Amino acid sequence: MAKPDSLGQFEQLVLTAILTRGDDAYGVSIHSKVEELARPKAVSLGAVYVTLDRLEDKGLVKSWLSDPTPERGGRAKRCYRLEGLGERALEESAVTAKRVWDGIAQVWGKEWVKQWSKRWVTQ
Amino acid sequence: MGEAVEQEVGYAMTIRAIRALIALLLPPACREEVLGDLQERNATSGGFCIDAMRTVPHVIASRIRRTADPQLLLMHAIALYLCYYAAGWFMDRALLRETWGLARPAIPALLVLLVLLLEDAYSKPGPRSRLQLARGPLIAFGFVFLAQSLPSRIVLVGSALSLPLTLALRLLFSPQSTSRQGPV
Repeated sequence: MAKPDSLGQFEQLVLTAILTRGDDAYGVSIHSKVEELARPKAVSLGAVYVTLDRLEDKGLVKSWLSDPTPERGGRAKRCYRLEGLGERALEESAVTAKRVWDGIAQVWGKEWVKQWSKRWVTQ
Repeated sequence: MGEAVEQEVGYAMTIRAIRALIALLLPPACREEVLGDLQERNATSGGFCIDAMRTVPHVIASRIRRTADPQLLLMHAIALYLCYYAAGWFMDRALLRETWGLARPAIPALLVLLVLLLEDAYSKPGPRSRLQLARGPLIAFGFVFLAQSLPSRIVLVGSALSLPLTLALRLLFSPQSTSRQGPV
């Protein structure tokens, strides 16, 4: 079984967006989800395209063109879905993030983690 | 009243021209989905143009990264430089001894590389015929003649030497073509 490369933060965001969008994962919907995940940082659509291309080259996602739709001026969507390698890479990243979270909580205390969560989740 | 209509028609034509230019700037491999996404995100033409100006450079850069093969580019660069250097050596040795003389054969070589990079990025995805692979070098050498970065006879000999080499490299090590897929 091929071992996935470790992911950059932005790659993690894009893969998470593809995962959560399911069958409706294409440029615009992925970008809006990535913006939601990356807030308060602004994310450009171009950066999402670049990352999607890179992830496709790494074999972490697969893309195909859907049928054209009138609201897009008769243009097709490029839809994305996670490949097995992408799922494993995302899983590894999530496990690492959990370890980081636990490490911080251990040192700074559960009370701080609660306050921190409230502050950032409500933003 | 007539002036207002004329202005509106002029504005609509300008917007249409800008949209056509944006479509032309986008590499064919990703033109369809990027134009569709831009259309979906922007209700107004102004928004479309601003969004496109922010997005298109990323798309072009990404396409160049995907289609460029660093090893093949390096082989091209060495072959091209040596050909123009050899042409300079045989035709006008004094030119190579001038200040920056050794850098001058690099100008046509870089120009050819740039055109080849863009040609590969803007080619349609999928396998390409030999004729399509030869199109890039032929256009590139046309640009080299127009640029006049070296005396014409050196450019002529250098291009005559490097054209077969460039064609052979492209035919032997066909540039990458990503497997973008159609409807399923």
